[in-house]
Amino acid sequence: MSAATADEVILDVRDLKVGFTVRAGRLPAVDGVDLTLRRGETLALVGESGSGKSALAMALVGLNRGPRTEIAGTADFHGENLLTARESRLRRIRGARIAVVFQDALAALNPLQRAGGQVVEMIRTHHQVPRAEAWRQTARLFGDVGIASPERSVRAYPHELSGGMRQRVMIALGLANNPEILIADEPTTALDVTIQAQVLQVLRDLQRDHGTAVILITHDLGVVAGVADRIAVMYAGRVVETGTREQVLFRPRHPYTRGLLASVPSLTGPVTGRLTAIGGSALTGVDRPPGCAFAPRCDLAGAGCSAPVPLLRRGTESGHLDACVAGGQP
Amino acid sequence: MRYAVRRLLAVIPVLLVLVTIVFLVMRWLPGSPASSLAAAGAGSSSTSQITASEAQIQAALGLNRPVLAQYGRFLWRLAHLDLGTSFFGDNSVLSLLGQALPATIELTIAAMLLAALIGSVPGVLAAWRKDSPLDVVIRSCATVSFSLPWFALGVLGIVIFGVQLKLLPTIGRLPSSLNYAPTTGFVLIDAIVQDRPALLGPWLQHLVLPATTLALSMAGYITRTVRAAVLEVRGEEFVRTARMKGLTERAIIARHVLRNASLPIVTVLGLQFGSLLGGALITEVVFSYPGVGDLLVNAVLERDYPVVQGAALAVAALYTLVNVGVDLLYLVLDPRLRKGVA
Ligand SMILES: Nc1ncnc2c1ncn2[C@@H]1O[C@H](COP(=O)(O)OP(=O)(O)OP(=O)(O)O)[C@@H](O)[C@H]1O
Ligand SMILES: [Mg+2]
Repeated sequence: MSAATADEVILDVRDLKVGFTVRAGRLPAVDGVDLTLRRGETLALVGESGSGKSALAMALVGLNRGPRTEIAGTADFHGENLLTARESRLRRIRGARIAVVFQDALAALNPLQRAGGQVVEMIRTHHQVPRAEAWRQTARLFGDVGIASPERSVRAYPHELSGGMRQRVMIALGLANNPEILIADEPTTALDVTIQAQVLQVLRDLQRDHGTAVILITHDLGVVAGVADRIAVMYAGRVVETGTREQVLFRPRHPYTRGLLASVPSLTGPVTGRLTAIGGSALTGVDRPPGCAFAPRCDLAGAGCSAPVPLLRRGTESGHLDACVAGGQP
Repeated sequence: MRYAVRRLLAVIPVLLVLVTIVFLVMRWLPGSPASSLAAAGAGSSSTSQITASEAQIQAALGLNRPVLAQYGRFLWRLAHLDLGTSFFGDNSVLSLLGQALPATIELTIAAMLLAALIGSVPGVLAAWRKDSPLDVVIRSCATVSFSLPWFALGVLGIVIFGVQLKLLPTIGRLPSSLNYAPTTGFVLIDAIVQDRPALLGPWLQHLVLPATTLALSMAGYITRTVRAAVLEVRGEEFVRTARMKGLTERAIIARHVLRNASLPIVTVLGLQFGSLLGGALITEVVFSYPGVGDLLVNAVLERDYPVVQGAALAVAALYTLVNVGVDLLYLVLDPRLRKGVA
């Protein structure tokens, strides 16, 4: 791939909002998010549970559309707005050009269908390939993602495989049609640490080989440090800080990012004392006060934080933005 | 495979219990078989003559022996498939059942298939368009269908299609003019085995009204079951995966939702089979359809105890075997069970 296309933005998300109608009212799960994804890069979407990561990702591929979901903004994919694209159009993009790897492979795979059959179905939905050839491709793919004895494993049912193998099947499924974008929604959270590392390695190798751009959703900064090119930190439906991996991990500006990092000892150097968890819990309710959503939990919060919603602003380094009114300074 | 064998073996004790219950009920029923038999054969003879012949008959039937001895003899004969002989007409009970049972099985299967068709399509539609006007209409129809007197409607069907419009025959299974001589007793199979395709037309015509009546009595229930099962499966994560693949809604329903929803649906259908069988017995009486129900009711009226006993055993055995069949069907449908129980 030439240097010119390597920087090409393939997904440009502007002011994305996802609101769910719940009993108590309208829940702003994603509240005005801007993101850009370049060809072949890994963008990590980090944030604690309920911050809207999955809601954002599912909105991109139209998997949470419905009468109770309200989606606004734009997501430009090769000149086409994914958020308003018709279902029939999205069907041709989903699985072929943008695929998703879900967190819980046991639940996300059809229990009555052979592991290989599920991948074959994905291939044959978008390509006119003879059945036998699709099975051969699937076996090759299983080998690529490091599944033991792929010829036999393609015929196994999901419950016959280990958790790590199942997650690899999920990844094989995601990569089956060589998509431009792979959305991996906490692809390793269900696995234990050693398997987690192996699966991430597989994902990373394949991504490199195929030039796939990955949106990696996680709340695990350890995962992010290993694989991300750029990071967007989400809090209560908004991106509060974004930048390259080095910028966000080593020179964090937003107090929330700093709090997150402080709770991961291995990233901030030698373990000096006990872990600092961030006190309090995130705003996930229907009613949100104006101003910075993190202010109630922030040590640095001052009078300026309760005014209108802080926007992402450029810091001293290019590409490094954060949404702290105080500029991260007390 | 081992599970399948185990499941089949487990049938034996169940059948033994059923057989014992039938035996005891037959003994405890008011009015001894001998007395009714003696009265039936007596014509205009006096009371003392009847009492005398009653004692003779009792001795002949072995009814004056201890109950345990009777039970032992009953089991011994049963093991040799000797169900006795009808009090009337010297037919062995086994041969009577051999004719009646296939007719009942045919009717029940036809009704089950029809009910599954009539019931499941609206069930899927209602689930897919949950809370839409279509869903509301289908749900109401299903609910109403519970409270309708289906067998009265069966009679109405006889009057309209049989008597008024003369479109369909209203009684029996096949016109006697066809001289049907059963090989297996199943007309569909016999038509092939005997190479008599001419049997099929009249057979279907006779089957339509009773099977439809029976099917309609159950379709509403199936609709509700299917709707609930589809709604449940539709919320599963693998359905979202299927959508992520770019499948059309139709492919998602057919390949993922229905396949998985079939597990709870088969369970409910299996449980419902008992009431369908009961319904079949009544339907047979309404339509004079020569199945086990028809046989049973006539035998009860005539106090033909060996036949009543044989028919009761046959129905109980059929019910048990269907439940085994349902369990084995699970093994075919759900790979998780195949591994788990082997
Ligand atoms: N379909 C839905 N209907 C109603 N509320 C929803 C729906 N999906 C998500 N939410 C709510 O939206 C908010 C964001 O959810 P989301 O799943 O995007 O969080 P997340 O960042 O992915 O968290 P996690 O790390 O737990 O996966 C949560 O408060 C959640 O309860
Ligand atoms: Mg999530």
